Amino acid sequence: MMIVEYLTFFIPFYLIGIVMYVVRALKGPTIPDTVLSIDCLGYALAALLVIFSVYLQSPLIIACAIVLTLWIYALDVYMSKYLEKKELGE
Amino acid sequence: MSPIDFVLTVIGYILIGIGAFCQIVAGMGMNRFPNFFVRLHAATIAAIGGSFVPIIGCSLLALSFEELGDVRFFLAGGGFVAAVFLLILAPVGSHLLAKAAYFSKAAVLQPKVVDALEEDIRKGEVHE
Repeated sequence: MMIVEYLTFFIPFYLIGIVMYVVRALKGPTIPDTVLSIDCLGYALAALLVIFSVYLQSPLIIACAIVLTLWIYALDVYMSKYLEKKELGE
Repeated sequence: MSPIDFVLTVIGYILIGIGAFCQIVAGMGMNRFPNFFVRLHAATIAAIGGSFVPIIGCSLLALSFEELGDVRFFLAGGGFVAAVFLLILAPVGSHLLAKAAYFSKAAVLQPKVVDALEEDIRKGEVHE
């Protein structure tokens, strides 16, 4: 039995967390709530991608995690500029 | 399996377990906390405890996984790069979002005891 087989025990916890973030993103009363929950969703998804790439032994998936982290930061900067200045960045 | 690989495996699984616990806690806090500025605490738990820690754990686990061959160094290096990006950029993003939500008055400041920034703005020391 390989050592990564026990990772299947931890994956459902991450999926439950992602479902909770999706609920808050759909319910969120204001725009910052939605953006904040989508932040958490993206970071949890990056962690889950790294776990899957070790579990499936595939090095292709881990490049997506790096790019996803940077895109979530770009979403933060863009939405905070929109909220503060009420204009879209160019 | 050599002893150093066994130690790396155990530490990796412990870190992934801490990450799973923090995900559940942050998800509950995200749904139960009353407004935006209180939910920032849950978001910080989800970013650092729930994502940075298990990515480091997965990198250590991949380093000790000998069936992969040379691919394991690729997996561990990519994991470390993603974790360092996340460690630097997630608090910066949360700070930006909190500042924008405060100055644009998009979220309410409900459990408020004292607001020093508001007094500074009224005295003219801080410009929006």
